[in-house]
Amino acid sequence: MTEKKVTKKELRQVFWRSLALQGAFNYERMQNMGYVYAMIPVIKKLYTKQDDQVKALNRHLEIFNTTPAISTTIMGISAAMEEQNANNEDFDENSINAVKASLMGPLAGIGDSLFWGTFRVIAAGIGISLATKGNIFGPILFFLLYNIPHLFVRIAGLRLGYRVGVSSLEKIQKEGLMEKIMAIATTIGLVVVGGMVATMLNVKTPLHLNINGAKVVVQDILNQIFPNMLPLLITFAVFTLMKRKVSITKLTLGIIIGGILIHSAGIL
Amino acid sequence: MVSQAIMLGIIAGIGILDSRIFGALMLERPLVTGLLVGLVLGDVKQGVIIGAQLELIWMGIAGIGASTPPDVVTGGVLGTAFAILTGKGPEVALVIAVPIAVLAQSLGVLVRIVNGYFMHKAEKFAAKADFRGVTLMMWVPPVLFFLSVFIPTSLAIILGADQVKGLINAVPKTILDGLGVAGNLLPAVGFALLLDMLYSKKMAVFFFLGFLGASYLGLNITAIALFGACIAIIIHIVINNKKTEVGNGAMAINNLTEGEIDFD
Repeated sequence: MTEKKVTKKELRQVFWRSLALQGAFNYERMQNMGYVYAMIPVIKKLYTKQDDQVKALNRHLEIFNTTPAISTTIMGISAAMEEQNANNEDFDENSINAVKASLMGPLAGIGDSLFWGTFRVIAAGIGISLATKGNIFGPILFFLLYNIPHLFVRIAGLRLGYRVGVSSLEKIQKEGLMEKIMAIATTIGLVVVGGMVATMLNVKTPLHLNINGAKVVVQDILNQIFPNMLPLLITFAVFTLMKRKVSITKLTLGIIIGGILIHSAGIL
Repeated sequence: MVSQAIMLGIIAGIGILDSRIFGALMLERPLVTGLLVGLVLGDVKQGVIIGAQLELIWMGIAGIGASTPPDVVTGGVLGTAFAILTGKGPEVALVIAVPIAVLAQSLGVLVRIVNGYFMHKAEKFAAKADFRGVTLMMWVPPVLFFLSVFIPTSLAIILGADQVKGLINAVPKTILDGLGVAGNLLPAVGFALLLDMLYSKKMAVFFFLGFLGASYLGLNITAIALFGACIAIIIHIVINNKKTEVGNGAMAINNLTEGEIDFD
């Protein structure tokens, strides 16, 4: 019997199909439809008996949920494991889904903080700073700055996942590389959010006091004490409320109504 | 007007499909849809400015985990479009976009519920190793997602433009100015959502590093991001190379409580 093998062609198909991961997102099993759709080229290539095909399709219809950008890494590993399964009678089929299930949580943690908390925040921060002046390169730069690392991770992750398989990924996890990436991403993300609070929360008070006929502008005093004091206080006030489980919609509506009231009172 | 309405509907459709079948390329973000809406309505500059404002407000809103966030696509497209059509500024975009995003969210929830049906059909096809059937069941939901924003967006532009104009003109100036103030305050919600994901007592110092760098040194965001990257690498690779602090990573993972944020 000849060795069955996943080729570059199937991996390329997996890459394109992985983009549709959430196409049929549902509450019961989340990204499972997208996952099985991405794996179809691999399943078709490796299994010829209908019985094996059914088993493989059902395997990848199980619940799945992770950061879309990271999904290709897991798909690469699944492809490598399906390949082993197709060539080795004794291979434990259940391990394929066990690995998927054990990776999707931790990788989602890394993926969300890397893509959502870091790349996107940096790209949006730079994009917004141009776009607020009406510069068309704002959105374009945002799109490019986010998607260059994004597509790199999608492609490299798929290759890495397929080539090194489970064992190496476990090794990387044990060596703490994942934690290191997380820590770096979290650090950069926080620094940028700090900068954005200072530059993009445009809150100033028009209040002024008359002391013996001399006009004292309150905002000037605040600036002398601590520049951007108001944006900082407001951000932490909202953050504290959010920690106390006040919903986003309530916070948003509260700020809209509060903003109108505070403006009518002449405070902001 | 009708052709513009259809084009705006298509922009919203592409936006909603971004996280579905285009691999989440950020085409759904108001910063990008604002540019596209501006192109269609012939005011690119205003579109970009409004897009930036809405992006700031919705900075932290993400489809992380199983939660369905407010629909920034429909809200963003309609908010930007009506702000341009009425000739008013970002305040108008805000007052239209925020409620629409919350309303449109329920359509997104509905589609995700309906998708469960197609998933079970797909299971039946899988039992017969019918690859074509499984693939078909995978491709019906994206059509539903598309229609769930295309129809409301186009209809709102065709039917609502005049009403919205009248409504906006009837709003007193103090209220509109107050909305402007609210619009300046709202990015705090986005920043708080990001902090919810990234912040911990141990890491707080990095937030203040960025804040103080911008406040006292006047650094722009690009500079802050680059300095932040250098500092992160110095701390986590150069200094702390031998022993990785598992604590940091584990903490960050715990901070990402998926779906725990209450969007309702």
